[in-house]
Amino acid sequence: MKLARILPLFSVAFAIAYALAVEYNLAVFTYHPQLRQFAFGVERPKAGPAMYWYGWIVTSVALALLVSAIALILPRSWVARVRVWSGLSWLIPAAVMVFFVYLLKGYFLR
Amino acid sequence: MITTLLIIHGLMAVALLGALTHQSLSMWWPATKRAGSFLSAARAVSSSSYTNAIIVLFLITATLGGIIYPAYRLNIRVILQDYRLLVPEGSFELKEHFVTIGAGLLPAYWYFWRRPLSPDWAGTRAALTTILALIVWWAFLVGHVLNNIRGFGS
Repeated sequence: MKLARILPLFSVAFAIAYALAVEYNLAVFTYHPQLRQFAFGVERPKAGPAMYWYGWIVTSVALALLVSAIALILPRSWVARVRVWSGLSWLIPAAVMVFFVYLLKGYFLR
Repeated sequence: MITTLLIIHGLMAVALLGALTHQSLSMWWPATKRAGSFLSAARAVSSSSYTNAIIVLFLITATLGGIIYPAYRLNIRVILQDYRLLVPEGSFELKEHFVTIGAGLLPAYWYFWRRPLSPDWAGTRAALTTILALIVWWAFLVGHVLNNIRGFGS
């Protein structure tokens, strides 16, 4: 199950990619819910709010898939170090959650 | 339509919450034998049998949440901003990000909960399940409170 072995790596890459996508607003597309319109890339709000969340998810999935695909062509021994990924697979996402708490602290500390 | 989806979203969330709580309890505080009490019965379940159900329920609940999310942005978030309800608004922002990270955790979660369970990864399974349980509890409580603030169907 060579493919299965990269799943922990995918989770780690996804968490990091999502944090970067949100921090730097790297949305593949923007959704304008009031107009029910999709637009490629990041667009400013038109009528009503602009939603980037869907675009951030697509960006993160694409980046995580890319990292996973690269891992598949790397030497087997490197990807096979599941013990390393087993620790990082929860540690990195947990750290990203803490990062979001920090990012959004303004809502709670006023 | 949105109301129907919101109710289904809530029901799925309850099922997910129950499954993850069962799995967490049976993992952190396993019962050696099934006694008569409610709590020991809750602890005595086979934790690995919940894995696939948790993944499916998480994905369905998150997808439904994603479908009804624009309605929140258009009808509820503006009210929170008008009334300067920063804590509920920030809590929902956290929910949005936590749930996304949780969805990204599912491949690793599935990998480490595959049967036969490796004793080497018991700690990883415990950590992943705990993080997912925290995410789901947070998402459920925040969603419930926000629904109460705005008023159902208003």
